[in-house]
Amino acid sequence: MKAKHFKKLLIHGLLLSGAFIAAMPFLWMITTSLKPPGKVYDAPLFVPLYFYWSNYVKAWSFAPFPRFFLNSAIMAIGITLSQTLLSALAGYALARLKFPGRNTLFFLILGTMMIPFPITLIPSFLIVNSLGWIDTYQGLIVPRAVSAFAIFLFRQFFLSLPRELEEAALIDGANRFTIFFRIILPLSSPVIATSAIFSFLFAWNDFLWPLVVTNSTRMRTIQVGLAMFQGQYGIFWTLLMAASTIVIAPAIIAFLVAQRRFVEGITTTGLRG
Amino acid sequence: MRAIKLTVLMLAAVVLASGLGFGEKITFWHYWDGANLQALQSLIKQYEEAHPGITIEAVFVPGAELLTKLQTAIISGKTPTIAIADLIAMPTLVRSGALIPLDEYIEQTDIDMNDFFEGPLAYGSYEGRFYSLPVSASNLGLFWNKNLFKAAGLDPERPPRTWEELVEFGRIIKEKTGKWGYELYTAGGEGTTWQWQVFLWSAGGEFLSEDLSAPAFNSEAGVRALQFWVDLIHTYQISPLAPWGLFGRGEAAMVMDGSWMTQFFPMQVNFELGAAPFPYPADGEPATNMGGEQIFIFKGDPDLQQVAWDFITWFTGTEIQVQWDRLTGFMPIRRSVAQDPAYIAWVKNARPLLLPFVESMQYARPRPPVPEYPRISDIVANYIQEALYGRMTPADALDKAAAEVAQLLR
Amino acid sequence: MVLGVNLRWKALHERGACRPPLRRGLQEFPVAFWFLLPAILVLGTFNFYPAFYSLWLSFFEWDGFSPQRTFIGVENYTSLLKTGEFWNSVRVTLIYAGGVTVAALLIGLGVAVLLNRQITGRSFYRTLYFLPVITPTVAAGVVWKYLFDPTQGVVNRLLALIGVSGPAWLNDPSWALLSIVIVGTWKRVGFNMVVYLAALQGVPRMYYEAAALDGANAWDVFRRITVPLLTPTTLFLIITSLIEAFQVFDLVYVMTGGGPLRSTDVVGYYLYRHAFRYHQLGYASAIAYFMFLLIFVITLLQFQLGRGGGAVES
Repeated sequence: MKAKHFKKLLIHGLLLSGAFIAAMPFLWMITTSLKPPGKVYDAPLFVPLYFYWSNYVKAWSFAPFPRFFLNSAIMAIGITLSQTLLSALAGYALARLKFPGRNTLFFLILGTMMIPFPITLIPSFLIVNSLGWIDTYQGLIVPRAVSAFAIFLFRQFFLSLPRELEEAALIDGANRFTIFFRIILPLSSPVIATSAIFSFLFAWNDFLWPLVVTNSTRMRTIQVGLAMFQGQYGIFWTLLMAASTIVIAPAIIAFLVAQRRFVEGITTTGLRG
Repeated sequence: MRAIKLTVLMLAAVVLASGLGFGEKITFWHYWDGANLQALQSLIKQYEEAHPGITIEAVFVPGAELLTKLQTAIISGKTPTIAIADLIAMPTLVRSGALIPLDEYIEQTDIDMNDFFEGPLAYGSYEGRFYSLPVSASNLGLFWNKNLFKAAGLDPERPPRTWEELVEFGRIIKEKTGKWGYELYTAGGEGTTWQWQVFLWSAGGEFLSEDLSAPAFNSEAGVRALQFWVDLIHTYQISPLAPWGLFGRGEAAMVMDGSWMTQFFPMQVNFELGAAPFPYPADGEPATNMGGEQIFIFKGDPDLQQVAWDFITWFTGTEIQVQWDRLTGFMPIRRSVAQDPAYIAWVKNARPLLLPFVESMQYARPRPPVPEYPRISDIVANYIQEALYGRMTPADALDKAAAEVAQLLR
Repeated sequence: MVLGVNLRWKALHERGACRPPLRRGLQEFPVAFWFLLPAILVLGTFNFYPAFYSLWLSFFEWDGFSPQRTFIGVENYTSLLKTGEFWNSVRVTLIYAGGVTVAALLIGLGVAVLLNRQITGRSFYRTLYFLPVITPTVAAGVVWKYLFDPTQGVVNRLLALIGVSGPAWLNDPSWALLSIVIVGTWKRVGFNMVVYLAALQGVPRMYYEAAALDGANAWDVFRRITVPLLTPTTLFLIITSLIEAFQVFDLVYVMTGGGPLRSTDVVGYYLYRHAFRYHQLGYASAIAYFMFLLIFVITLLQFQLGRGGGAVES
């Protein structure tokens, strides 16, 4: 009994110190966002003792943030929905369907992740430009509607699902789409949640591409708003951190919503501790 | 009665406006944020009110990405009417062939080009023609922490004027307070190179040859400047090899930084701040480096170009520049602004920290306007680091850097 | 062709009962076509095409601004391979990628396993460990610079407590890269944890129940059941981690600028300089394709290893 308590304590001690290291920059962000002018470099660094809320008001009026938020929300939700669905479909085909050239296609898709964005920026821009999609939501969403990363994630997950599930249905005469939507997807909520949260974060934090395919302030996204605090001539630390806090709030909420799914069914798995 | 007057006025405005080409809109890409953005917006409003029918759509693009945006605009042929860019970007932009030469307009409008400081003008000219005009400037100077000076028993109102004094004061501060005397920018890149250029110039050296075709920094003056940096770290031990930012945290008593920091430091630091022209060797000459932006017009609709030029002459004119510099804290680009009594009175009363920078503007020198400059700057910064870390002697480091730069400029 | 991970699953499921193989082959092609069509359309237009375009560009000299490009054959590649600065970057990148991948994988797996059970404050921990993934790099950079400060920093103060005089970290050419690896790991752990947590949900509980009946202890269960069953996920994490680490840029940009003395000058930053600062798009593309080749080969090797690795123990 005693040993068990000790073990518990040890685990919590380990987890807590790790969690503190993980959270430090985040705590610094919050602390700085609430500091009055002239105190940016002063202790405390990780515990908010000042509560200078007007930084938030000031930061909010620094740029047309409501519009930027709207644009980012439309873009991020559009990208998340399409990436999750379309990548799951492709991932399923690559994991479970047999067709010639399957592996070649898979490695080709993987390969696209290995080409750094800086060198595909210009050709990608030229395509969007020739489609007439500059300054439009489709220009922001469609080029990112499928993600090689998500396809890879889904493929690996589907590979580890027991085949019996589908085989029984196949023998009953169900077609692949029915199986995918009725059997596979309902079983996949942890991986769907994982893929969705990463798609959302990717889209929400994306900066260079949305900037390149938009020309008017009306179509810009929040990351461009954040860049206004890190000017050519210096960083408005308190305002930047206030704005960053506002901007990552939706990301944290998205994570909190999704994380329930990561551990769905934990109570029934019965993993011994 | 009043209503009639108003109607007449409005009619007159409409007639005037149609004469000027009613409903013309020019787009203007820039990276000014914060107070600079507010200043720009208020000036544009002022311009639009004085020129009914003309709209200036100013679009903010983050500074680090402006050149990338301009690049995509140029290769897709969808450029804004006008834009600004950092001085350093101008040679690349001019050679893209996307800008129009301004000489005819300059002649037509009879602008006195001699009123501009020569430094900023250097960036706008290429093969004997002007492609851009300066629109803002900044330079480097010395900031010092008066609290630390006091704590060390130094006169807090007396900054060092020479390199020798810089060392002397720095040693006293190190000894009395345990804080660093002077913070060097050792992190590499353009930050290191452009600070070092000030030391090079004030020791009597040149960065590139006069025709910009070869390196010139591996001279006696260059070695002296770099040796001084090495000595600050290793001999006098008043400067650390540490991440940038010690001065702001009160860990170093002096630093070289830009005129724009007269706006940022007061928001960030909790000590009394002083600013002065940067010290130079007792047998040397005052010098400083210069930053800033240029404004230019893209090829396109000639009517819009005319409108754009009208806006540019207005914006770069003395009267508006005085307003602009007062609102933003930028350095004057024209002598007539630097000598303007109202401007000087404003600096003295409202922004006394800015005064030494305004005075240094006459010594401000341009970095070489060549498209290879960013590469050259990185090479030089890297070899400066080699010397600072004691891996090479200053002379060796500069010779090696010069060899690489020479190959690049060939 | 079936991949190794799949084989292992087959081995697992077909143990005891041998199933007749289903009729497969070309007849699934039409179905696969519809499953894959949207992905191929989008990827083809916005990924494959730009990728081939930039491959083509790697044979040119072009600043990305002027209308003329000069075809120079493989000159970008030959001059790249002759550049010491580039090889330094390759070396730095390999160390960075290897270090972050291994460290973050182990820590991420450990945290995920700990947080996959009934433990007080589970979702609190999960959220905290995930924070680095969403914390802005600029804030992370500032704080880690503080932590690594040679004299004032928390790290060296802690080391001093146990009598160790810490190095200058980011300012010491022989320690800077390790500092960056630490920060890179810090940022990656939360990501690995989340993916592992999701994968742990896919482990059917019957295996654990069977192991419990056999009287296996927790370590045996972890080593013999959890780890092998997570192989597809581990493969995924190793490959994505390597790909990401090969392109790392912002961390280095914010924390060291590639220095001191190019000791943290990763290829991502080297490429960034050539693409965005020096405006040498052809040369930048050549860098990218050289690195592409390297990471692609590593990935293929990973898949080979994944296939050859030991099957689940019975």
